Amino acid sequence: MSSLLKKSESQLGLKLVAPAVGIIALLVIYPIAFNVYLSFFDVQLNGNRTFVGLDNYTNLLSNPRYYHSVGISIVYLIGTVIGTTILGLAAAILMNQDFRFRNLARGLILLPYFAPVISVVFGWQFIFDPVNGIYNHMVVDVLGLTDTRDNLIGNPDSALFVVIVFDIWKHFPIAYLLFLAKLQSVPKDLYEAAAIDGQNAWGRFWHVTLPELRFVIATVVLLRVIWNLNRFEDVYLLAPNVETLPIFTYYQAFAGLVDQGIAAAISVIQLLVLVGLIWLYVRKVLKW
Amino acid sequence: MKNQTALIISGGLLFSQLANATTVEFWTAQTQTDRMQTIELLASTFEALNDGVTVNIVPVDENEMATQMAAAVAAGTTPQLVEVNSEIIMALGEEGIVNTKVHDSVVADIGKERFHKGALTTLTSPDDQYYGLPYHGWIQGIWYRKDWFDEKGLAAPNSWENIEAAAKALTDKANNQYGILIGTKQDSYTEQVFTQLALSNNAAEFDEKGSLIFNSPATLETIEFYKTLSQYNPPGPQNWRARDYYLQGKMGMFFYSTYIMDDLALAEVAKGSLTSENFKELSGGTFDPNLVKNTAFAPIISHKSAASYGTLSGLVALKTSDMTQSDATKDFIEFMYDPASYITFLHMAPGGMNPMLKGIAEDPAYLDDPNGVFKLYGADKMKKIVSGFDDIRSFSVVKGKTFPESGEIFAKSVIPRMLYSVAIENEAPQAALDEAEQEMKAIIAK
Repeated sequence: MSSLLKKSESQLGLKLVAPAVGIIALLVIYPIAFNVYLSFFDVQLNGNRTFVGLDNYTNLLSNPRYYHSVGISIVYLIGTVIGTTILGLAAAILMNQDFRFRNLARGLILLPYFAPVISVVFGWQFIFDPVNGIYNHMVVDVLGLTDTRDNLIGNPDSALFVVIVFDIWKHFPIAYLLFLAKLQSVPKDLYEAAAIDGQNAWGRFWHVTLPELRFVIATVVLLRVIWNLNRFEDVYLLAPNVETLPIFTYYQAFAGLVDQGIAAAISVIQLLVLVGLIWLYVRKVLKW
Repeated sequence: MKNQTALIISGGLLFSQLANATTVEFWTAQTQTDRMQTIELLASTFEALNDGVTVNIVPVDENEMATQMAAAVAAGTTPQLVEVNSEIIMALGEEGIVNTKVHDSVVADIGKERFHKGALTTLTSPDDQYYGLPYHGWIQGIWYRKDWFDEKGLAAPNSWENIEAAAKALTDKANNQYGILIGTKQDSYTEQVFTQLALSNNAAEFDEKGSLIFNSPATLETIEFYKTLSQYNPPGPQNWRARDYYLQGKMGMFFYSTYIMDDLALAEVAKGSLTSENFKELSGGTFDPNLVKNTAFAPIISHKSAASYGTLSGLVALKTSDMTQSDATKDFIEFMYDPASYITFLHMAPGGMNPMLKGIAEDPAYLDDPNGVFKLYGADKMKKIVSGFDDIRSFSVVKGKTFPESGEIFAKSVIPRMLYSVAIENEAPQAALDEAEQEMKAIIAK
């Protein structure tokens, strides 16, 4: 190939790639870079910016509440990711069996995922209202299990637990949906072969279902980690005193007047943590 | 020829209208549907009187106002006018986005002496600029079950000792009965309740010179007292929305503003608050027609000094480079102070919204509210409540001097978060106070 042709081909290649690179730069790189830039400034609402160097980062990293919220976030992540994965898997295996009204049941399982978060949160708040709620009415007045009324959503010790249970309930259908889709494509022959080899139900699950689902499980876990590390609305609406990282960010940066510098610093650290977590997960756990 | 002239004139009129066509976006903290309708009506009247001006009403929850405003400024979609409480106003003023020129000229047009002095001072910056214009305000105190107090021989809750004794005597958790409701959520209600108790103990955020003096024995003592009272609260973090426990007869007393007057007196209003959008957590209860008779109000709490507490909301014009828009905003503000429109606005919440201009409270039209609430309370009482705005106290104003940093401290919820950690998370009062002081210092240093 002549060098002229080579040159013009490579130019054509560049031209073809340019729009994609341009769009990625504009939509992805620029906002992130601008955010990193802002994290070194004290930004006033009237647009004035004062360079403060690493002050936003040092303020953040010297704040004990930051580490507290990191701890809360880790518990929240572990609880919700494991919970939704296991419940989603269990529901998918169950719904993959043959039974009457199976399609109706499959549809009904998705309901929590469809329901708008704001309305289900109010429902849950009513259930756990300390004075008039159904939960206290049942536990204290009807069953007499205890004589003290509890505010499970308000009490900081139990609120984290309630928020985790709420998230599992609200979001397991998406895990269920992904698992079910994959389960339907697992060849029946594999189960038959395993049965001939003398595997019981547990053995068939362990040696056939799990390996087949491995990549879907990996995807579910990965997505849930990303979503839940950034999840704000469910937690804030249900129990604003459960200070996960996004809630901490809200109180630091958005309660009252927006402190864009601090907000940017928090998000930069959160981005790095998330990228690090995902890298570890992909390389070490999944060995991709 | 005649036709041509008419055409030219009408064309000219059309042109001038278009040239002057402008929009005033007005954010209001009055988010309930019926209040929105009243404000829409006022806006339509103004539009009818002012060709080419459109007024867009946007309801924004008071707790969200500062955040929404910050987002709007960042996005370049700042509204022209905002109605919000004084603490947020001072914070907005400090951010340098307030159009003080419009405020100056409105005060000049209306007359400085017609405003209640304390109200105007509350919104004045240290260098004598008006960060906002006082529009309406309320007084806070303790509302209590007079019949239960009489039954148990309890004294009115007007001192720390009386409040604690009554809270203890009226709490019977086994039977789902609670003595008191004070704010323990991380929101502005908690700060309002605490402020009244703190003022009665001579605690303050700033001294006259503007030095931060929040971390003091007086504040510590108030926090400890607050924690004591919180034991008699319904379980868990609470805020004003739980006032319905009082309306349901499950609570002995609670801190609330004069806003509650109509809920206590009128079945229709109480029904609204017991079932509707105001309180989604609960599905209801029945109206007690004797509740208004059995309820008494203690507006003043005495400990080391007597303290009443109130807050006011104001109108704030925001900076714009468009002069037409700025003029239209000024015209709209002056229209809102016109007695006819002003009284219409205040009647949305009789008792809760009290006028900031002298003379309005004595206006027969004002005393003739649609629900007849003022007739129950009487003209003299109303005049007395309103006179409180000449000498309204808060953390932001010390001996006539204003400290706008207080607005930012409020906007960042430093005090409510401190109280939440003490009352709900069992943090030691001194440790929580030290943390709050650190946060305040960081805010002031900026």
